[in-house]
Amino acid sequence: MTDPTVALVVDDSRVNRLVLIRQLAGLGLDALEAENGAEALDLLRANPHVIELVLLDVIMPELDGYATLEAMKEDAAIRHIPVIMVSGVEELDSVVRCIELGATDYLTKPINPRILGARVNASLTAKRLHDLEREHLEQQRALTATIERQRAELARFLSPQVAGLVSSAEGEQLLAGHRREITVAFCDLRGFTSFAEQADPEEMLGVLGEYHTMMGEAITEHGGTLEHFAGDGVMTFFNDPIPQADHVERAVRMAIAMRERFAPLAQAWHKRGYELGFGVGIATGYATLGRIGYEGRYDYGAIGNVVILASRLSSQAQANQILLSQRAHSMIEDVVEVEPVGDLTLKGISRPVPVSNVLGVVTPA
Amino acid sequence: MLDEAVLAELRTSVQGDTGFVRELVDAYVADSAALVDAIDAAVADADADALVRPAHTLKSSSATLGAMTVSGMARTLEAAGRSGSLDGVEVRDAAEGLRGEWEAATAALRDWLARAGSP
Repeated sequence: MTDPTVALVVDDSRVNRLVLIRQLAGLGLDALEAENGAEALDLLRANPHVIELVLLDVIMPELDGYATLEAMKEDAAIRHIPVIMVSGVEELDSVVRCIELGATDYLTKPINPRILGARVNASLTAKRLHDLEREHLEQQRALTATIERQRAELARFLSPQVAGLVSSAEGEQLLAGHRREITVAFCDLRGFTSFAEQADPEEMLGVLGEYHTMMGEAITEHGGTLEHFAGDGVMTFFNDPIPQADHVERAVRMAIAMRERFAPLAQAWHKRGYELGFGVGIATGYATLGRIGYEGRYDYGAIGNVVILASRLSSQAQANQILLSQRAHSMIEDVVEVEPVGDLTLKGISRPVPVSNVLGVVTPA
Repeated sequence: MLDEAVLAELRTSVQGDTGFVRELVDAYVADSAALVDAIDAAVADADADALVRPAHTLKSSSATLGAMTVSGMARTLEAAGRSGSLDGVEVRDAAEGLRGEWEAATAALRDWLARAGSP
């Protein structure tokens, strides 16, 4: 059983208050009473969530109906509580002013209980609708805030493109799986295995942290989609989920930027006794892209020969080499300056493949 | 002097509860005695400001119980108080006649209650 609705009866005459309270009781309402506007405001401010309706006399000593109404409307905590003005017949002009000030309705004395009932119910219904609306808005605001927080948190874990997919309508289709031509760039460190053996775990994490930070910045700058970090290995692809007409060039420019930024890091590590080199393999081809994994832990990934080829090229790359597959090279011949490395025999690929090493780009960005 | 139709309507509005009307009359008699005193004092002091509040409350309470003559006199006095001037025949008549009318009204209310029967 819910608590009865509480109304506040404001009238300077005790007789009038008694009559109204009794009539409200007949409608199932409890009542608080105040002798003037000042008392009414005190009660309202003390019980903003208890009082659901105010029956307010227009002419009262101390603080009259107008001033009370104005004070209520200026107070955010109580301005939503409906006010029904109660006045003598000769005070109808004042009632108009009160409605302009924000009163919900009015009653004239002597009060007819049926009219009282109708006005009270109408005001309460309007208030409850308004309360529901407010509650709904607050829930929505809270929900939006949660989604924004999740999206922001997600973006820290996923590449921004994938985070965008997860929270977009068309994303679901892309996540389900699709085929597309992409350029894959595989990067890893020469000498990492022996470094990992001799360095303290803290030292190793420190070096990896510096390396990943540098790599991450370059990936973001060039619009790459990070598929994964695996120790020193970093796989990035382009042209998906966001189409990029210049995907091969982007991958090559990113690899060059990484190579340049790697040099000062390698120098600093060298001073600490670690010899680490940077190598990249880049290949272009069709892959299947989408959600890979299992319920509870999915990644957005790419599957296809192009991924294997880029990975093999990366393993073959000497320190500071960026090895480019033939197809990738053919797509950006006029932009990139290369030296042929020859036909390489790669594990898992039947025939030797022609490979070039990227020296630089012809027209720097 | 006493509009019995108002009283009858009032009683109907509280589901014919004469006991409640009796409580109202008791509250009226108790509270309005002080109001009549305050009005007399304000008139004696020619204090228009002090006249407004008790006259207003008396006007309103009296009308609720059907004491229309008292209510009308109180209205005249309230208006005079607001205007700041207690001069004029009508105001003087109201001021002089108020206590007698009020006593008559309370007696009439008691009489009506006696006729209406006990709760």
